[in-house]
Amino acid sequence: MARYGMVFDLRRCIGCNACVIGCKQENSLPDGMFFTRTLSEEYGVYPAVGRVYIPTLCNQCEDAPCEKVCPSGATYTRDDGIVMVDADLCIGCSSCAVACPYDQRSQVDKDLFEHGLFGTDELTPFEKDGYQRFVPGTIVKCDFCSERVDAGLDPACVVTCPTDARIFGDLDDPDSKVSELIRERNGKPPMPELKTRPKVFYID
Amino acid sequence: MNDPQPVQNSLKSGRWIRSTCKMCLHSCGTVIHITDDGIINKIEGDPENLSNNGKLCPKGNAAIMRHYDPNRFKQPMKRTNPKKGPSEDPMWEPISWDEAFEITAREIKKSLDEDPRKILPSLEDFQKFNIWVWPLAFGNFNCFQSGGTMCGGAYHPTNGYIHSAFAAANDVKHCNYWINNGTGDGFSSHLHAAAQSNWVANARIDRGMRCVTVEPRLSTSAAKSEEWVPIRPATDRHFALGLCHVMVEENLVDYKFLRKDTNAPYLVGPDGYFVRNAEEKIYVWDSVENRAKLWDDPTIQKLALEGTFEVDGKECKPAFQRFRDILDECSPEEMEKITTVPAETTRRIAREFFAAADIGATIEIDGRTMPLRPAAYNYYRGAQGRKMGFQANHAFKMVNFLVGNIDAPGGHMGVTLDDQWVDKSHVAPGENGMMMPNPHQLGPVPPFAYPPNTYHLMDYFPVGVHPPHLNLEVFLNPGKYGVEFEPDVMVICHSNPLWAMQGPREGWFKFMASMRFIVVSDIIPTETTQWADIILPSHGALESWNMTMIEPPHTEGMCMRQPATEPLHDTKSEEDIFYELSERLGILEAYNGVLNMAQGLDHKPELMLEPDKKYTDKEIADRKGRLWNDKGIDWYKDNCAVTERRSDKWYRPWEGMRLHFYIEDMLHQRDQLKKKMEEHNVPFRNEWHWDDYSPLPTTRLDPVHEEPEEYNLFGMFFKDIQLNFGESIGNPWINDIVYRDPVHIALMLNPKTAASEGLKAGDIVRVESPYGKIYGRIGTSEGWHPDALGVSNSLSRVNIQHKGVPHAGGHFNDMLPYDLRNTDAVTGQPETVCRVKITKLDDWPAGLKEGLTVYDLVDDIQKPGKGGRH
Ligand code: SF4
Ligand code: SF4
Ligand code: SF4
Repeated sequence: MARYGMVFDLRRCIGCNACVIGCKQENSLPDGMFFTRTLSEEYGVYPAVGRVYIPTLCNQCEDAPCEKVCPSGATYTRDDGIVMVDADLCIGCSSCAVACPYDQRSQVDKDLFEHGLFGTDELTPFEKDGYQRFVPGTIVKCDFCSERVDAGLDPACVVTCPTDARIFGDLDDPDSKVSELIRERNGKPPMPELKTRPKVFYID
Repeated sequence: MNDPQPVQNSLKSGRWIRSTCKMCLHSCGTVIHITDDGIINKIEGDPENLSNNGKLCPKGNAAIMRHYDPNRFKQPMKRTNPKKGPSEDPMWEPISWDEAFEITAREIKKSLDEDPRKILPSLEDFQKFNIWVWPLAFGNFNCFQSGGTMCGGAYHPTNGYIHSAFAAANDVKHCNYWINNGTGDGFSSHLHAAAQSNWVANARIDRGMRCVTVEPRLSTSAAKSEEWVPIRPATDRHFALGLCHVMVEENLVDYKFLRKDTNAPYLVGPDGYFVRNAEEKIYVWDSVENRAKLWDDPTIQKLALEGTFEVDGKECKPAFQRFRDILDECSPEEMEKITTVPAETTRRIAREFFAAADIGATIEIDGRTMPLRPAAYNYYRGAQGRKMGFQANHAFKMVNFLVGNIDAPGGHMGVTLDDQWVDKSHVAPGENGMMMPNPHQLGPVPPFAYPPNTYHLMDYFPVGVHPPHLNLEVFLNPGKYGVEFEPDVMVICHSNPLWAMQGPREGWFKFMASMRFIVVSDIIPTETTQWADIILPSHGALESWNMTMIEPPHTEGMCMRQPATEPLHDTKSEEDIFYELSERLGILEAYNGVLNMAQGLDHKPELMLEPDKKYTDKEIADRKGRLWNDKGIDWYKDNCAVTERRSDKWYRPWEGMRLHFYIEDMLHQRDQLKKKMEEHNVPFRNEWHWDDYSPLPTTRLDPVHEEPEEYNLFGMFFKDIQLNFGESIGNPWINDIVYRDPVHIALMLNPKTAASEGLKAGDIVRVESPYGKIYGRIGTSEGWHPDALGVSNSLSRVNIQHKGVPHAGGHFNDMLPYDLRNTDAVTGQPETVCRVKITKLDDWPAGLKEGLTVYDLVDDIQKPGKGGRH
């Protein structure tokens, strides 16, 4: 069984947000909701100033604090390491959202689906079709596009990223691109001090 | 997990079709997923398309939201509110297509019969040149579209002279040292943003290509480059001349290339023209025999590039020496006073650039041994959008000339607009061993006439791209330019001139109000549709056919667009609309004639359009596909026709012809125009800036540097990949990312500049230029040159009938000039930087107070519970 992970190449990422919109497209996310974001951070003082673009998403932690606090068993980890939320079991208590140190979980708010993306109080056919997946009140987050992964496809944000800054693969396979990059370019997980053991790594 | 039905859109039951993106003018290959219920629910890049390699930029990813936009025009409509104004509700009334065509044809016909010059077209669907050329069917050269102004007014003609091509790009496959000046190429904008970002990222990471970005702001390109060189706005030409100075002074030059492949050795007389014999053949100087010879004399031993000589009693110098003379004034120390770039930085970059160019190296590609010059200087709008735009372009090209990288592997390459047919060549031999200059990349320009036949004075820009801003100059100065007609009908298609045009809106509003009739074909409401009398709603890009490939840097071919669904609304294709109008106006035969020529269909006679037939978008697309590779439209549904550009079409296609290092044609054009203006007693001829016509770039300052002192800062405009090419704002997915990005939600200043102006982030201000004003809110960032005020393209819209488009407090373009003083007399390119002063206000002025602006929306997003949701 594979153990999926993602590498973000900070030298490649241009902060274009194609990934963010690609994810919204793939997952029919309502206005203001994100499963992935690309942050931008400026540093230094003119003229010695720089900016780094930092993609973020659910880190699919091995020791997932969200999973530990979930009282209903809705949050669980698949055999391939992807952390999932079962909407049927989720009671919407938000404990997991509070527990996630990376702020990667959102609660599905009913009113998000009422105004529609265009704020006209009507839904486009795209929204009508796509919003059916959401159960109001429950918690949602990135699941590495688990259905795509099951179908042998890369996640939506990965395939669209113009610079190939997002690399997806099997962390257990030493020959996979992700393993190679983590090894050769010293991949670092976000906030390692929290000991959540993320399956997401940054290289620069 | 209990649900057997997939919830991810790309996996739902449905089908995938191949098509082409049209969220910008370029043409990334796409695959579109349509559910069994007929809903378009996912668009991805076509992995088989070698240009974009399966990638899409954020705009390409947001195309579905344009398709399902409830603000779209859903049927033909006529205005019932006779009052027109920026905030007048047109009070649309739905009408039938027949009535819409009847009214439109009737109103256009009145002007067509009276004087066809009274028709003012703005046809700007960049993927459908078949619509652009429509006015030629009645001999009309007017132009109200912004392509020239806001794009590359001076850029395209210069590329036409230097590469005989429309655009230019660095050869990413071999380049190792990439200078980006005032362009986001490879990072955020310009040619094929999604595709180029992929190619450039691979070159940077896999090959270690070094990037240097010269720009007033820490753009994406600057942020990702090894080096950001902040520069004072509107001084890029001087930076390039400083580089050239160092290169020439320190012999960092590919002299072999200049001697063999350019006209740099040709002798120039005191009048600036080449020295010719009685048969018009040009002289050069053989420095071994120390005498003049004709350029093609087989006994030439060594061509002189430097020195002063005498031929036929005339003092003359090689063109290269003329450039040297100009460079004498361009020491990096002198240029630093203008650009603020430290002289040492300029010297170092010149040396690094030369070292990377690896003069002498060669490479074999497809059996041809060519120079390998893996260093190139690339630039675009930000650097070339100057009053002296032609000279600016030429200066940047000179940096490339000096290392011999023009169209060489690793170097700076010409990029064609649309290849049309497989064996079409874009270069041709010209006189005296030189390549034929080809500045008219967008088709024919009108011949000289006085009184003028065009309202925007295109009659006087023999090598230019249309200067549409001059419509306002002429309109506001009646009589001055001798125009004997007044435009009274506007025909607009996929164009938003009221947004894109520079010059104050108040002036443009008067211009719009002076029209008797305005018809607009578009898909969503814009600043311009607000003024229409009739709306002819067209199909969106996911409902129509097309065939083109616009400006692909590294690939060639055709990209087919096909409908993913039936039209959602009662719309028509642009082809249906313009064919129907042509028939009703009695110009059908002429239109088909123009199309046969402009589309290159006459190249394959069997594809030519019959004079009296109307064609659908599909039939036109089918012909363009067959013109390229003899395959019909069905073939394109299953196959991708995009391949890597053949090396003989990409690398040195001009081999054997000398390139125009020295653009002598400037003088021909100047003198012919002067002569005609004299002959016709053109009253404004003494106002014409003849100095702009120069065969070599000079150090003369653009007039933006001579504005009154009180305008102490330089206002500049910028875009990033989310906002490229056209109105992306209003698309909810685009809004959702743009209005969270600090550089796109405030008027940007360096914090030190803000402090010295007594300002801090969050202050409400009025910004004034000598030409107009805007309102906004200040933001600060260390990533700005202290002399610059930066305004994002996201802050350029006003309240319109599209609910997703918020008011930004005015448009940067309002502050730009529209007069001759700020227009390149060669190409028509207007100045796109302005001098500004900032005044702090206590509150928003009336009209912007009611929580209506972008800034209110931004505040709302940043409230906890909305923006915090992630
Ligand atoms: S699509 Fe790629 S380059 Fe663009 S922001 Fe996302 S990770 Fe970065
Ligand atoms: S992996 Fe899928 S769900 Fe997660 S951020 Fe990327 S596109 Fe969104
Ligand atoms: S670069 Fe242009 S054509 Fe390509 S995906 Fe983006 S909008 Fe579409």
